[in-house]
Amino acid sequence: MKKIRKNTIIAALTALGLGAALASPALADESFRTLDEIKESGTINIGVFSDKSPFGYVGENGDYQGYDVYLAEHLGEDLGVEINYVSTEAANRIEYLQTGKVDIILANFTVTPERAEEVDFALPYMNVALGVVSPEDAVIESLDDIGEDDQVIVISGTTAETYLVKNNPEIKLQKYDAYAEAKTAFENGNGVAWANDNTEVIAFSIENEGYVVGIPSLGSADTIAPAVTKGNETLLNWLNEEIVALGEENFFHADYEATLLDTYGADYEDTLVIEGGAVAGSETEAE
Amino acid sequence: MDMSVINSYIPLYRDALLLTLRIGWQGVFWAFIIGLGCTLIRQLRIPVLRGVVTVYVELLRNTPLLVQLFFLYFALPKIGIRISAEVCGSLGLGLLGGAYMAETFRSGLDNIAPVQEESALSLGMSRYQTLRYVIFPQAASASMAGILANVIFLLKETSVFSVISLMDLMFTAKDLIGMYAKTIECLTLLVMFYLIMLLPVSLLGTVLERRLRFAEFGN
Repeated sequence: MKKIRKNTIIAALTALGLGAALASPALADESFRTLDEIKESGTINIGVFSDKSPFGYVGENGDYQGYDVYLAEHLGEDLGVEINYVSTEAANRIEYLQTGKVDIILANFTVTPERAEEVDFALPYMNVALGVVSPEDAVIESLDDIGEDDQVIVISGTTAETYLVKNNPEIKLQKYDAYAEAKTAFENGNGVAWANDNTEVIAFSIENEGYVVGIPSLGSADTIAPAVTKGNETLLNWLNEEIVALGEENFFHADYEATLLDTYGADYEDTLVIEGGAVAGSETEAE
Repeated sequence: MDMSVINSYIPLYRDALLLTLRIGWQGVFWAFIIGLGCTLIRQLRIPVLRGVVTVYVELLRNTPLLVQLFFLYFALPKIGIRISAEVCGSLGLGLLGGAYMAETFRSGLDNIAPVQEESALSLGMSRYQTLRYVIFPQAASASMAGILANVIFLLKETSVFSVISLMDLMFTAKDLIGMYAKTIECLTLLVMFYLIMLLPVSLLGTVLERRLRFAEFGN
């Protein structure tokens, strides 16, 4: 009996020690690989979504596919290295970079000031805003349509979640940690609406009958960009040069046509695609 | 580590702790009831139901809680059975725990020499009386360590609740990390809150174990 209690105390102390170790800043340093180190190793680790069709998903043959993956494949070719895809969830994208589990995140990562404090974003390659999809027999056309007891489905760690927590704290959120689960829950009618990137909810309403995107654009217009670990300048600079160079051959339009055309049709091509990192209205950024 | 961040997160963790405890203990309660029911059925050798118990125990013990929760929460609504996330959580824990408890009780009962049952019966006690006054008290003592391990196991299994959108301790930490990226603060708080939840259970269990030793007769 005495032994058990002693073990409990030791366990508690170990846990506290672990906490203290985590808290020490020494562990947070230098957790990335430079461009040369990646080239030398012959493999690059790229974090992508495995369940966010048509941007990053695992196709029927088991290969990663989608708009983000199309870019990833090209980056691997130009670097002359093998790609090791790492499946991420929305909420752990920053951690994967901070702990060096991946070299680049290409998981439909929206650029926000909060995130830019934790990771370094390269030039953007896609436009995005938030959107809200709801069943067509009870369309939510404005956030005011959401009742006091209604729940809105969001995915943990997305900009939709952060936006609603910050701007509409009165709305009850039902949070999931993966796209697949959020979609199933929404189909099962667990929430009155699903808020996410508008690209994602538009795709959902096109692919599933009976759903309408009642709010096609919410919050500010944002961009999506590759991200690297904070301070990984060599990789960041290479990515920026690469994106500018790709813009000259209209790479991202080709990407759209290969991966997104089936879902969105040609109408969204110019609204979604950013070529050469040049956001509309701020062309200088590409220079 | 940023103390102001920690202070602002504590209320969220407290809510998560209360939810985890509420659902966790409901699960443990149902696990006890189901485990006892299964044990009674086995001990009284009730036909048909015995077979049901065996299938139940093997099915639940050999599938992960994650899979069971998926089934309860995502599959059942497709056939018209809709259960709230909280009920799914305690039901899932209860069903899983029931199977574990049934096995733990059984191992406790196996510990008791058959001669005890035979003696009790020959003294004119009914089968029920034999179980109630002779077998169960001793079995409870013998299985105490196992029961305690099950309780702690069940309370820790709450960490997979994020799949059914319950804001338990684990999901709250992951969610905050996803939104504000204060990884170190969030994970330190997480470890601390799990300890706050589970250390008292361990200590209480140790005390209980000692008190129940009265039944260990002649060993």
